[in-house]
Amino acid sequence: MEEEIVIASSSIDGGIGCWDLQTGTENLRYKSCASPPHGLTSVGRRFLASSQLQDAKAASGAILYWSWSRPQVEVKCFPEEPIKPLVANSEGTYLVGGGLSGNIYFWEVATGRLLKKWRAHYRAVTCLVFTDDDSLLVSGSEDGSVRVWPLLMIFDDHQMEQASQLYEHSFQEHTLRVTDIVTGYGGGNAIIISASEDRTCKVWSLSKGILLRNIVFPSIIDSITLDPGEHVFYAGGRDGKIHIGALSADSSSIKSHWLHIIGSLSSHSKTVTCLAYSTNGNVLLSGSEDGMIRVWDPKTHNMVRVFRHAKGPVSNIHVLKRPAYLNPRMLSNVQVSSRRHGLSLPPPLSKYINTMDEKVVGAVVNLQATCNNPLDASCTSSQVISSQIKELQQQGSAAAAEMEVEKLKLDSTQAMQMLQRWKKMYDNLHEFCVDELLEGDHVKSAN
Amino acid sequence: MAKTKGASKKQQNRGIDFKKIKRKIGRKLPPPKNTTNTEIKSKAIVLPEQSVVSEKAGLALSKKGLTLKELLQHTSHHNAKVRKDALMGMKDLFLKHPEEIKLHRYAVIEKLRERISDDDKTVRENLYQLLKSVILPGCKEDNQGPVISLMMAYIFNAMTHLAIDIRLMAFKFFDLAVEYHPPLFFSYAEKILQNYEDILQKNQFYLEDRGKLKNVLAGLVRCLLLLPSSKEVNLLAKNVPEQKILQAFEHDVPTVFAEYSVIIKKLKNLVPVLVNCFQDFLPVIHDSLDAQSFDCMLNILRSLDHAVKFFIHGVQQGHPEPPPVDQSFSSVLLKKLLVVFPLSPMHHLSEKDDDRYVILNIAITEIFMHLSEWICPPAVLFEKFLTFVEYVLVEKSCSNVRSGKAVREKQISTLIPFIPKLVSRVIGNWKNRLLQAFTKTFQDCSPESSVKLACLAAIEEIIISQEDLLCTDVNDLGQFDYKITLVRELPKLLVLLGNRHPSSSKVVLHLLLRLGQRSLLYDDMQGLLKEFYSTDQDKGNICYGPFLRLARDSQELSICCLYYLSQLDSTLLKSIASCCLCQELDPFMLFRIIEVLHSTYKAGHIQISDHINFLITLASRYKVCPENIFPATDRDKKTSNHATFKSLTSVVCSCLSQMGDNSLVFVILEKVILEQISLKPPLDNSCAMLRILIALDSKPTRLSEQSICTLSNVLSAYLIDVAHCVPEYNDESTIHGQTRRYYLLPSFILFDRSYKLLNLVLNVMGSLINGRSSSLLSGDHIRYAKGNSSIINAIVSVLLWMQRDAKVQQILYLYKEEIDHISRSICSLQSSEEINVPIEERHIIST
Repeated sequence: MEEEIVIASSSIDGGIGCWDLQTGTENLRYKSCASPPHGLTSVGRRFLASSQLQDAKAASGAILYWSWSRPQVEVKCFPEEPIKPLVANSEGTYLVGGGLSGNIYFWEVATGRLLKKWRAHYRAVTCLVFTDDDSLLVSGSEDGSVRVWPLLMIFDDHQMEQASQLYEHSFQEHTLRVTDIVTGYGGGNAIIISASEDRTCKVWSLSKGILLRNIVFPSIIDSITLDPGEHVFYAGGRDGKIHIGALSADSSSIKSHWLHIIGSLSSHSKTVTCLAYSTNGNVLLSGSEDGMIRVWDPKTHNMVRVFRHAKGPVSNIHVLKRPAYLNPRMLSNVQVSSRRHGLSLPPPLSKYINTMDEKVVGAVVNLQATCNNPLDASCTSSQVISSQIKELQQQGSAAAAEMEVEKLKLDSTQAMQMLQRWKKMYDNLHEFCVDELLEGDHVKSAN
Repeated sequence: MAKTKGASKKQQNRGIDFKKIKRKIGRKLPPPKNTTNTEIKSKAIVLPEQSVVSEKAGLALSKKGLTLKELLQHTSHHNAKVRKDALMGMKDLFLKHPEEIKLHRYAVIEKLRERISDDDKTVRENLYQLLKSVILPGCKEDNQGPVISLMMAYIFNAMTHLAIDIRLMAFKFFDLAVEYHPPLFFSYAEKILQNYEDILQKNQFYLEDRGKLKNVLAGLVRCLLLLPSSKEVNLLAKNVPEQKILQAFEHDVPTVFAEYSVIIKKLKNLVPVLVNCFQDFLPVIHDSLDAQSFDCMLNILRSLDHAVKFFIHGVQQGHPEPPPVDQSFSSVLLKKLLVVFPLSPMHHLSEKDDDRYVILNIAITEIFMHLSEWICPPAVLFEKFLTFVEYVLVEKSCSNVRSGKAVREKQISTLIPFIPKLVSRVIGNWKNRLLQAFTKTFQDCSPESSVKLACLAAIEEIIISQEDLLCTDVNDLGQFDYKITLVRELPKLLVLLGNRHPSSSKVVLHLLLRLGQRSLLYDDMQGLLKEFYSTDQDKGNICYGPFLRLARDSQELSICCLYYLSQLDSTLLKSIASCCLCQELDPFMLFRIIEVLHSTYKAGHIQISDHINFLITLASRYKVCPENIFPATDRDKKTSNHATFKSLTSVVCSCLSQMGDNSLVFVILEKVILEQISLKPPLDNSCAMLRILIALDSKPTRLSEQSICTLSNVLSAYLIDVAHCVPEYNDESTIHGQTRRYYLLPSFILFDRSYKLLNLVLNVMGSLINGRSSSLLSGDHIRYAKGNSSIINAIVSVLLWMQRDAKVQQILYLYKEEIDHISRSICSLQSSEEINVPIEERHIIST
């Protein structure tokens, strides 16, 4: 089983904490990150990206990249407007951000190009999530609507012109800001759960586009996460409790004042701000306003471990499989190699859609090569490939030069050896000559 | 004779067949073989009692003493009167014994169905009444399908009967059957529509018997109403049933859809027949319109309307069949029906008749509107209809006083749903004219009428649906003006509706919320909204709006609307605050309001100072009753809202601590709180203030010198009041002990954070005892403890409590001097006056 790590960020600058879930040891802490809820994502486990909280007056937003090996910010991007939620698809080829104005931005990671930008909501986008097959994007907004966007539709210009709307479903039943969305398994047939400040969580069917269940909670729910069996879901409330809502579980036997709520985990004194579930260890993680991350055993409802992150509220928690770069054995290697190649992170995300780029885009090639190298994305556009080829060519010439030097070196050593030999020969000759002369003199004098 | 003898002789030889029987004379003949036995044998009949009643003792009987079995037999009696009586008797019986229907329904129906094509009119009528009023309602709970389908064959049989009366009556029976079991129509659709077509084509009886034709048409309307139309689909999607299991297999929807192609084919034949039928009535129109023919015409129009709706639905759904609305169909409607529009009387008539014409015209308009979604009608015709719509909308508002108002309103509300589509379709001047007429209708109709509701739905469509296409072009200014007018109208309507029409209020609030979510609410509406919550009359008299008396879900909706205002102004907050302070408000709603407003603040729609003021107002003005909790009785505990106030305090504290940098918030808060606390609020509110203060303060305190001075006066008075109001009990675990702790804790924490404060408080207490208190002001702060002796008693117990608290005790050691001073002055007072000072005082001196 692969080891898992926990990454967490806070809305007040406390960096991105990174712990080993099994052992509890803390890894590197990535500096200067103040991310809004849903603003932290790992891009295909290659690097970390996070949108940043900004002053209200700031005209443009900020998205920062960190590579696993270094605590400093490596790449800074400045999108058109402040971005709040940020999410990458599972392979890490695309990065999607939701803006304050209700726009959704769609970037290609490898080139940093802004592929698409569309008006998705009337008010700020608050959360974004992909379904597990990456085919649908679900967005929630401050205006209380949850919308489902098929990526197929968004990139089909022809259909876009024909259809009256881009989204597949628009769920309007929430009366206040949507705070969190999770998707179940099963791609387009999955269920999604949305939580809102109106104190409800609603379960929707993606295939039928209908509301399946409405669950009223005793407090505002800020974060939700699913049990891997979709038996229950966990909802972190502002009252400091983690409520357990029933999905397929039978809630009729439980005598509760609240319909469909089976029970709760509590020890938080303050608001639960974010939740995550680790399938490997079968533990539930919760972040709280007091900056602590608590690890729970969902069966016994006991707290297993506590990580201390920051003073401010924890805004994001993710559980990831340990990326290769973080492996302590490899760490030094990677650092060396990355330094040598000068290879690290993709270029920053661009601010606007570049119409020039649009024309150049040719066929998209699927690169199947070198899977063991996690730095290679398997999907890249023709542009990336052409640039890679160019790079390869340049690298080739450098190697040639190296060989030249090697050759020259070899030449020079040969020359040096020759020189030595000549020198020796000369010395020998000289000695012989002197001997001859001296001997001649002796003979003369003897004569 | 001889001949016969010979013959017999011969026969004798022949054999056994003709055996000669020898009979002796004088003997009696044996009886012939075929004689009837006339002998009567009888045994004695024993009648222990009169049996007619007793036999039927356990059975249900009708008025005339007949059992169900007998009655059923009588229904097939050859005498019409007996049949009729039997039916009447059954009615009696079933009314008396409803359980009989359930037991014998199949037997009963099997017998009764034969009467559907009975020759006698009264028998049929009675049967109809029996079915309608007793039998069908009686077995409503059970599965009615089988019961009714038992009758169907007989009904169809009657529909093709030679006698026209029986045929007409059969349609009536069918109407009844469909009423009780709607899916029936789909299983027999083809046959039924064929029958309708046949009967409507044979129009020789029209002019004689319109009443019966009316019945037939009513049945047709009912059937066609069952056909799906696009609007119903939307409605179905809206109300989602709460499912028990999330991921379950679904039952297949009954396959009514398979029948559609057949229905469409039949309807296509039926429509021209209906149109012809309508045209037959036209001559009547021009002289006078009686009630019967009016009903017939209306029913024809309604049937046509349903048919058109069904066709359009089929087109929208994209059924695999060829498009049903072909040229011939639409042209029939256009040429024969729509050209006669508008129907108008030849000469002036009474108002009632006039109303009838309008109703018919509206019905035609409906058909036209539905049809125009599919075909493009000629512009001239379109213009004609638009003029009519405008006329109806505008004219109606002037005719408020007229008699047919209720009828008219109902008719208008059917027209209103077309307005949004029309507005988006028409070009040029018409857009404004329609909007103007619509706005006028909306403003003029009474708040509780159905027109208002229809208008609200239309407004939602006009404003929201058009915006929904995210890439709409910029609407022209004129239209924009109307939208503003319409939106402004909503808060006024809300106030007008009051709490008498909760469902309408809910609709309005929902609309407001939808508008808010799309940023279509205007900030200057807040003045109007204020009235909905509460308004400040002169001299602090508060006039509460309808908000307080609405149901909880409506209240929540209205609170959610506030979240979407781009900037909540302080006056609106003030009126909400006064609602919050009202005792009638449900505590749940109070906390919900705070929660939503806090979210609103976080979203940046409330200014920080306004929000702080709002929260502090709640903490300082909330009226805790009873004000003084001691002596507490059980009755008091039930009515008391102490618990609510305690949680209110903690909610306010947590809101304030989440507002951002605590030290900055504290700077703003310090002044406000000190101001409020010096106003001498009741004990609970002071306690809440102190709690807020310590929630945001840190150790060591951030309080300025000046505020510590002010606080020392307030605090000493507060402590004395606490001591006075909460009597002394040694047991810490009692409810009194807990309450005391609740009150004292904030001040002890303050002492812990600022030693100077304790020092000052001790000084103030000392000077109070001496009576020559330099700061008379602090004396004013004491609310409850009056008189010197009670003050001194209170001070002593405060000091004792302080001493009991471990932390404060430590600090007390530092200020031994002050305590000595206090005890000395108490001693001196004791000697001069007769004041009862408890002995415990010695303890303090000893520390």
